[in-house]
Amino acid sequence: MRTLLARLKERFALGPITEQRPDLAFVTVERETLRPLLRHLRDAEGFTHLVLLTAVDWIEEGLFQLTWLVHDRRRARDIGLRVMVARDAPVMDAVHDLWPTAATYQRELKEMFGIDFPGSPRIDEEFILEGWVDIPPYRRDFDTLKFSEETFEHRAGRGTTDPATHMREHLGIQGGSK
Amino acid sequence: MTAGADVLAATDPRPPIDLSSGKYLKLWQGPQHPGITGNMSIELTVCGDEVVEGKTHVGYLHRGFEKLMERRTFIQVFPIVCRVCVPEPDFNEYCYAAAIEELAGIEVPERARWIRTLILEMGRINSYLMYLGGQAGAFGLGVIGQWTTHVRDLMLDRFEEMTGARIYHMFILPGGVRDGLPDGFDRRMAETLREIERTMADVENVMFHNAVFKKRTRGVGVIPVDLVDTYGITGPNARAAGLPNDVRKDHPYLVYPELRFEPVIGHESDMYARADVRRRDLLVSIDLIRQILARMPRSGPTMSRLPNVLHWKIPRGETYVRGECSRGEYGYYVVTDGSGYPRRINVRGPSYTHAMALLEHLIPGTNISDVAALMVSLHTYPPEIER
Amino acid sequence: MRDVLSPFLAWKNLFREPVSIADPLNREAAPRYRGFHKNDVSKCIGCGTCETICQNGAIDMVPVAGFEPKDGDSGLRPRIDYGRCCWCALCVDVCTTGSLTMSNAYKWIDADPDAFRFVPGVDAKSWDEAEDGYRRADGHHLTIRERVPMQELAPEVRVGGFDEIVAGYDVALAKLEADRCVSCGLCIAACPTHMSIPQYIEAVRDGDYRRGVRLLYETNPFSNTCGRVCTHVCETACALRNEGDPIAIRWLKRHIMDQVSQDEVREIIGAPAPATGRKIAIVGAGPAGLTAAFDLAKAGHAVTVFEAAEKPGGMLRYGIPEYRLPYDMLDRDIDAITSLGVEIRSDCRVGRDVAMAELHEGHDAVVLAIGLHVGRSLRMPGSEHPQVRKAVDLLRSIGEGMSFDVPRTAVVIGGGNVAMDIARSLARLQKLTHGEVKVTVTTRKEPGHIVADPEEVRECGEEGVVIAYARGPQRLVIEEDGRLTGLLTWRIVPKIDDKGRSATICDEGDAVVHPADMVVEATGQAADVGLLGEALTEELAWNRDRLAVDADGRTSLPWLWAVGDCINGPDVVHAVADGHRTAAAIERAFAETSIERTRPDARR
Repeated sequence: MRTLLARLKERFALGPITEQRPDLAFVTVERETLRPLLRHLRDAEGFTHLVLLTAVDWIEEGLFQLTWLVHDRRRARDIGLRVMVARDAPVMDAVHDLWPTAATYQRELKEMFGIDFPGSPRIDEEFILEGWVDIPPYRRDFDTLKFSEETFEHRAGRGTTDPATHMREHLGIQGGSK
Repeated sequence: MTAGADVLAATDPRPPIDLSSGKYLKLWQGPQHPGITGNMSIELTVCGDEVVEGKTHVGYLHRGFEKLMERRTFIQVFPIVCRVCVPEPDFNEYCYAAAIEELAGIEVPERARWIRTLILEMGRINSYLMYLGGQAGAFGLGVIGQWTTHVRDLMLDRFEEMTGARIYHMFILPGGVRDGLPDGFDRRMAETLREIERTMADVENVMFHNAVFKKRTRGVGVIPVDLVDTYGITGPNARAAGLPNDVRKDHPYLVYPELRFEPVIGHESDMYARADVRRRDLLVSIDLIRQILARMPRSGPTMSRLPNVLHWKIPRGETYVRGECSRGEYGYYVVTDGSGYPRRINVRGPSYTHAMALLEHLIPGTNISDVAALMVSLHTYPPEIER
Repeated sequence: MRDVLSPFLAWKNLFREPVSIADPLNREAAPRYRGFHKNDVSKCIGCGTCETICQNGAIDMVPVAGFEPKDGDSGLRPRIDYGRCCWCALCVDVCTTGSLTMSNAYKWIDADPDAFRFVPGVDAKSWDEAEDGYRRADGHHLTIRERVPMQELAPEVRVGGFDEIVAGYDVALAKLEADRCVSCGLCIAACPTHMSIPQYIEAVRDGDYRRGVRLLYETNPFSNTCGRVCTHVCETACALRNEGDPIAIRWLKRHIMDQVSQDEVREIIGAPAPATGRKIAIVGAGPAGLTAAFDLAKAGHAVTVFEAAEKPGGMLRYGIPEYRLPYDMLDRDIDAITSLGVEIRSDCRVGRDVAMAELHEGHDAVVLAIGLHVGRSLRMPGSEHPQVRKAVDLLRSIGEGMSFDVPRTAVVIGGGNVAMDIARSLARLQKLTHGEVKVTVTTRKEPGHIVADPEEVRECGEEGVVIAYARGPQRLVIEEDGRLTGLLTWRIVPKIDDKGRSATICDEGDAVVHPADMVVEATGQAADVGLLGEALTEELAWNRDRLAVDADGRTSLPWLWAVGDCINGPDVVHAVADGHRTAAAIERAFAETSIERTRPDARR
């Protein structure tokens, strides 16, 4: 893995590298580097299998992390490529021409995170959700609890008591911190 | 690897479909269980009885698990992961636990590693049994489903006595497993395995040495071997194409390095070959269970010491952990941010690629009556697509 | 051909017995099956940890008839909503008492959906007595049972001086210990001053010691002190004590104070409220008086504390040995209090240097916090001998740094913490002066029934002090030349009297003379109320030999309040709680009246 990363460094501008395991590394790259690097990994380095493509919402930093995980079965190792895209203009280059299965991932990311992959097949078609009008639900600022409280009716008869408060009230405790 | 995919995308040989021509008919298959593949639907465009296009539609089972996990503490995620995939839930438990253990730096006791392997192989057998019933059922061979359901139930009894539950076992906790094996488990398991073997002999005779089944499955739904990586195909679907892809061998985990087995391979890559690979793989699992029971340690801890799970925080990090489930590569991509909750968990089920991109690619040119069987032959579970 | 014929093998099953279960409705589940919940409600303490861990929000904690809140039991019990439960059994795994389990029953039919919301163990169910069902496997539990060990000086080292025994946790160990807490909050009610214990333990986990100090000072300005010598009743209410060691709450409190500099502590306490013009006199600079002073000064009142001894601290300085509470730690607590502008007049004995009448005249309120500084005597034959001392007097001498002839052999009478304190102090002095420890403690109690804290008893033994159990002191042995040589005791024998009550008698046949150059009586203390003067003593209402006060600590005279040990008996944290309570009551009293009506001199 070390030699591979060293080799890649010579050809591509690589950002921070995390060597998670001897057989798994994550590399952050710029958006422009992604496609050439993926193509190189696939055609020249044996990473022929796209394992997954997904996103992580780092809302505090205003960024989406996109992760493409590719697998080299012969040498039993994986590389995860990370590209950070701005949360307020979430667009990324599609890779379904490299792996047709990427289209499904891209469609899901468009729907669940609102990240666009221009040119990806059926990208604007509803994937899992139907008639969704809220913000993309897998974004961190979508509050599932609030949504469920507003959307569904809760059955009556529930209600809980905090042990410390209950004791305070029943033992007539005054003072102490509230 | 050729650059086949690029070529594929560029030169689609199919003629454009003109719906107004009157030659075509739109037909929906699903979303009620078409065969035994769960709730998804395929929008078929047919010309006569030939299907010219199939578009998959999912969204009938979305429960938002990945989002729900982000709201739960690391221990609270444990009970819900198994629910991502009904017929083979244990891979979720294993992959989640293994990812958390890796990120939190927790060692798993030796005995727990054996028990986990045992559970995963038991689950694989069950999953295959269900598949065989479904695959035969797609051709009207209902009796196979009755037989396999019976022996699957016996295996569920073993699950019940070991884990305390039949379907969602919730037994593989981060840090180990909940308990050792109950008294007399080995004897009853040996009996169950013998019963399954007897049934499998019948299944082989009635389903695999069956002129009708052969006629309907041979040469149908062929996956060219050079598409395996292009479409991210793993597991029996890849092995039936002649590739020895098996995570248990490629990335040995748990106690697989200590067990003797060879990946089961087929060659024709058609529906028959895939069914046959699964049948033989099931027999391998039976053998693996026997090896495990003969060699596993019977004493020692089953859980390692966890920090207090009520306020368990895991440092920032990310990892991907995979296992070989009955349908191929099952994996969990887990991102932590130093808080008490996962930042992101992505469940990578094999059905995601098999049931969508691959199925859409295989459908054109098939007969309407083969679509359900073709879908079953890829052994897909829609719940893991939508999560 | 085979492919045509072999499917017909299916026909052989025509002659097989059916494999389906004959009576599926009464199929027994496996012994480990996770079926419906059971709860041993007499064992359950209502800590709510099951509710906390439940990922489905299926558990509510609800009041249940017949279970009132008491120390270590909230009186609540879990109610489970089977509309939400997923039978993961994490509630069983995490239960702090092991009361919550599961039966292997899985069949329950009812037309009323609300029936499936029930309180296990309270709402009777057919499976309540089921033997089988899910239990935690041996060794599988999600709580952490063992306390993080505390580093302490070895007995042979510590007996050679008055150095503090307990080292305190370092940050890593404190985090581990704090991590064990399940944050149920049952300890809050048990603590006399109701400290925010789970919250400050959380601050330790987070490493946010400034927040920790802020939380401590909300309820206790003696956290350096209480972090060392508190009687920690909170720990006897800790949920984890049921299946392991309670959280080391006291040590964690000390750990917070150890991490923050005194300057920062003063800064966190902040400035007092704007001056109100009220003046308050407090008699006695012990924990009760100074806690009241802290609260009242923070509220903007002018507080003067009159202290008879040379230095403030009361029993904390003159009663508790330095190896348990180093003087500089006490000084820190007092410094934080004086940083609010509290004036302490040491060496000023009310009744001698200043009269009660003057205090009354010049202040809106007067608080008596005079403690228990007079040792009680058993008045046995010979107890007027000069070598028969009282523990409080001797401890005071040690605290004042006064020297006295250290006896080569000493006997301490008493089985409380004061007896342990003086015995261990004498042991140290003997070691320093004579090189060997010869101290015997005689107690009327049987082993295991002694009043002192178990750890005190253990450490006493480690330091070479001998404890003679079940000995009733009879008289002092004094030679003809007037020399004290020992204490005669008889064995105490437990007995049931005629009316069936348990009592004790002394067995004269089992007499022992414990050799001693000095005998120390640690047999109770009293308040020195002489300072009140005759007129005031007459005027006030009394409850036997103690001043009668209401729940707020107010005496029968509206301007006079009394708090702490002199009212409620000896205990630091109770004294602190008292101080808070009375300060709050004084505040309320002020709110109800104008300055003119409370202070005689305000008219001037």
